[in-house]
Amino acid sequence: MKPINPDTKIAVLLKQDPRALEAIISLSPRFEKLRNPLLRKLMAGRTSIQMASRIGGMNIKDFLSKLEALGFHIEGSGPVPAESKNRETPDFLKDLPPDRITELDVRPEIETGKDPLHLILQRLKDLKPGQVLKLVNSFEPVPLIELLQKQGYESHVEEISPDLVITWFYATRPVDIQGLDPAKTKGWEILLKRFDQKMQTLDVRQLEMPLPMLTILEALETLPPDQALYVYHKRIPLFLLPELAERHFDYRIKEVSDQEVHLLLFRS
Amino acid sequence: MFGVPVSSVAQKTTSHKVVLPFYGYAAASLFAAALLILANSAAFTGHYFHPRILAITHILALGWATMIILGASHQLVPILVEGSLYSEKLAMASFILAGLGIPLLSYGFYYFEMGWPAKWGGRLVVLAILCYLINLFKSISRGKQDNVHALFVFTAGLWLFITAFFGLVLVYNFTYTLLSEDTLHYLPLHAHTGILGWFLLLVMGVASRLIPMFLISKYRNPRLLWLIYLLINTALLGFFFLYLSTVLINLIFIPALMVLAAVFLFIYYCYRAYQARLRKRVDPQVRISLFSVGLLALPWMLLLILIGLLLRNGGEQTSLALAYGFLVFFGWITAIILGMTFKTLPFIVWNKTYHHLAGIGRTPNPKDLFHDGIFRVMVLAYLAGLIFFTAGILAVQLFLLQAGAVLLLGTAAMYNWNVFKLLFHKKPVT
Repeated sequence: MKPINPDTKIAVLLKQDPRALEAIISLSPRFEKLRNPLLRKLMAGRTSIQMASRIGGMNIKDFLSKLEALGFHIEGSGPVPAESKNRETPDFLKDLPPDRITELDVRPEIETGKDPLHLILQRLKDLKPGQVLKLVNSFEPVPLIELLQKQGYESHVEEISPDLVITWFYATRPVDIQGLDPAKTKGWEILLKRFDQKMQTLDVRQLEMPLPMLTILEALETLPPDQALYVYHKRIPLFLLPELAERHFDYRIKEVSDQEVHLLLFRS
Repeated sequence: MFGVPVSSVAQKTTSHKVVLPFYGYAAASLFAAALLILANSAAFTGHYFHPRILAITHILALGWATMIILGASHQLVPILVEGSLYSEKLAMASFILAGLGIPLLSYGFYYFEMGWPAKWGGRLVVLAILCYLINLFKSISRGKQDNVHALFVFTAGLWLFITAFFGLVLVYNFTYTLLSEDTLHYLPLHAHTGILGWFLLLVMGVASRLIPMFLISKYRNPRLLWLIYLLINTALLGFFFLYLSTVLINLIFIPALMVLAAVFLFIYYCYRAYQARLRKRVDPQVRISLFSVGLLALPWMLLLILIGLLLRNGGEQTSLALAYGFLVFFGWITAIILGMTFKTLPFIVWNKTYHHLAGIGRTPNPKDLFHDGIFRVMVLAYLAGLIFFTAGILAVQLFLLQAGAVLLLGTAAMYNWNVFKLLFHKKPVT
């Protein structure tokens, strides 16, 4: 059997030894949900042993020793990361006006065995700047908290009772406009590096309209496939944008000042 | 490393906050006008000097066409002269004054209430145009370069002011005897300073720059544009003089021929630009704008026939005159605006929503911000509506008028759907 550690996902445990299911459920009544095959499928792949012990509200050592009894081999005895979550309520949450709170109770969804993830992401997308999402759940949604942290959302957890946990989510930095796909978030700096030695430059600032657009389009026609075109322009050439899309070019724009804009054009 | 220094003249894009209200107002006006046309189809079987038709004409001419042109000019003129707008406050003032004045004036006409509603409406519209004119003058004189396009736009603004001021005088003429003849007698002067001086000059000035740009064409011919400019302005002044002199009224076909010549020269200009284009496939927005240019010839030829008949028979050709007016406002002017809206508004909205994100990641194509399918259906409904309604006027057939009016209302509804989709566009994730 493969050795396990605090980061091993519950799904891996269940695959290796189905008996682990009963063992885990015996640890805390909160794990009863795992009996539901749908919920199990949903949660087990996202939840590590460490996360699960937080959801169950127990010491991770107890969790691991229970598994050890089933014959699982625990890898190393490295330090288990300490509980680092700040349980202090942030000031701005204390007296938040109701119009800045969007409440979402996912307990009915979970009760019927549905995955609330999509619903939660949708609500987060709809949040206006400054708004927070109040998520009502029956346990601390540790996998979700970690997932959203990567997307730029901070969270605060309030345990009202063992069966009622409120988690607050709020954006800390502007979230990327194309959402959750990191492949599309290539920004100016990264692309500039990518085309470091493979760039042609063009200055159209002194040209009279509509020559800037014509000059750029002509330059693009002779641009070698792996190269980018770096353009100095006076303003964002709005009418150029659909032309670029039509020729399968992508662009990044850097606004240097009111009178100077730099463009990076490359094949998409 | 950045080569030549950039000019010190600031080139700021006009804020979307100034421009977008004009677009919204214009779209709503088109809908209101289409609704009133449907509700009053029967009025189009009679004489054009009818309160309902006067109201509809002013909603179309001012609320729809003039408002959207004012909005777009505040954005375009700074680009034409490579400068920035003189004052955004004046632009807002112009919007508010016109926005209040147009409904008052239209109400006055609709119920033929020539007292305070029409008078205040007219006063507010004149003030709005004055604000626009001052703003335009200051922006152009501060700009880096003045060119024939800017001159077209400014002269058009002057004619708009003259039209509105004269219109206000005509409103007063209903209650006081200011002029030697009744208001109906002067109506052709008021209408043609508006149609030729304001709309034709402006559209030619702007389109002669935009159409080659959208076609990606290198064609330029400032001399031809100067000739067109002289022809139209001379024709207008000549028309004024001949019309008021009464003795020389028979020579009125001379200015009409001059305008027709200008129109054909302009069509020739667009054709040459089209021939020299780099872009092989022309998108539907530009196609309907080019169609509008072709449509230009239609009302003017109708006008010549009209003058010919008037001179020969002396009688009034009311349904021809009505068809002429309808083709000008709902044919030519509306066609060009339907196309040009979706060549300007998506870019203004893109700039407002995405320009600061264009360095971070991939941003949407401005063309994808409105529904292309609805745009295409709208164009078809519009063309069918135009044909039915014009036929209805000429044949004096209520059934054709109503069918045309329903199609035009559908056009207005689809136009509004797309415009408000754009105006309320938000980026997908905040």
